[in-house]
Amino acid sequence: MKKIIFFLLPLILFAKEELIIKVEGMHCPLCTTAVKKALKKVEGVETLKVLLETKTAILVAKDGIEDKVYLDAVKTTGYDGVIRSRHHLKD
Amino acid sequence: MKRRIFMQGCIAFGATAVILPQVSILEAKEATGLKRVFYVKNSYNLQHENAKAITKLWIPLPLEGTYQSMSDFKFNANATKAYVTDKNAYKARTLYAEWKSGGEKILEVTYTITTYERTSDFSKATASTKYPKAVAHFLKPTAHIPTSGKVKELALQITKEAKTPLDKAKAIYLWVTENMYRDNSVIGCGVGDAGKAIEHNILGGKCTDISSVFVALLRSVGVPSREVFGIRLGKSRFSKACGGSDANGLAKITGAEHCRAEFYIDGLGWVPCDPADVTKVILVEKLTLKDPLVQQVRDYFFGNWEMNWMGYNFGRDFVLAPEPMQKPLNMFGYPYAEVDDEVLDYYAPASFRYSFVSQEKI
Repeated sequence: MKKIIFFLLPLILFAKEELIIKVEGMHCPLCTTAVKKALKKVEGVETLKVLLETKTAILVAKDGIEDKVYLDAVKTTGYDGVIRSRHHLKD
Repeated sequence: MKRRIFMQGCIAFGATAVILPQVSILEAKEATGLKRVFYVKNSYNLQHENAKAITKLWIPLPLEGTYQSMSDFKFNANATKAYVTDKNAYKARTLYAEWKSGGEKILEVTYTITTYERTSDFSKATASTKYPKAVAHFLKPTAHIPTSGKVKELALQITKEAKTPLDKAKAIYLWVTENMYRDNSVIGCGVGDAGKAIEHNILGGKCTDISSVFVALLRSVGVPSREVFGIRLGKSRFSKACGGSDANGLAKITGAEHCRAEFYIDGLGWVPCDPADVTKVILVEKLTLKDPLVQQVRDYFFGNWEMNWMGYNFGRDFVLAPEPMQKPLNMFGYPYAEVDDEVLDYYAPASFRYSFVSQEKI
């Protein structure tokens, strides 16, 4: 049992997930910069791309960060975000 | 230290498309208005912390028309590449520059712009609504210029007594200049979201906001209309609100971007208009709509443009060329730059690092 936990622990500790957040209110290129700056501040976010064309933020982050943390970050820009998807990434 | 080679260009460099005249038969008439000549210099020294990223810069250049023409165009840059293009949906003339890596990113653009005051003879207007295809394009909605729902409802209410397209344009102009006001707290020229403004009754704004409401209302009742994004170049004879310079004709025009509007009337062609500057004169001069100066300006800016300003393009909600990471672009009245997928703040010339000056030939 201990051996199993030993092998699983790194996977639990270092697991990552990809999220797609829809930010419908973005209307110009500068909005993407504001949203990107806000989401970068969330601890655990590793890569991040914000696109005006699809009005989405696509990010890879440490597993287990609550939806609310991301949405509150988006909210600081004056826009509302909606989590469209989140899934674990395989190593 | 690795030094970059400076590249230089003129209007013929790398883009023969832009030396073709852009004047269409829809506005082809002799330039007869008051002539003014300005020497313009744009200086860029882009700043950002990402040394490994590719930096891309799109600069709006003046459009070519009966009322303005550009000459002696030159640029000098330490960019990896730089060229002029107008390959976008609105044929907006653009100087594009790209830097592949870190270090200084310097570019200087100079040109002479000759302008002629625009006037209108309303006796030539007809009531025909058969518009050429190129004009009818400016009846279509865009993301920020809706032409249905509450916008149309309001436009129909404003124009209920109007019989001709010119009557409709006048009624909408009077409504906009009476009901909208300049709000100096708005950043830059404003977003120009006419749908949101009308939906939420947001009547304060800056030039793009006010012009976009004017344009949306006109389009929704079948009158072709468009914003013209540009920049002030020198002193106005009406008010300091509409442009200024020192005694020698030198104007520091960083941040002097200004959006005007046009509408199309058969028999007249594109008619110049500037509802936003009426509201600016009211605010800056601390006057009301009833004051004689405001009355004068309000009459004048329906059919006339004082040409202490130059136009860049009509683009709304479109994609620049070469294609940027972020699209569409709301409007192209400011320089636009991306560092990889991040957009530099074009409303902040001090951090973006650009400055513009204009010297009028006196």
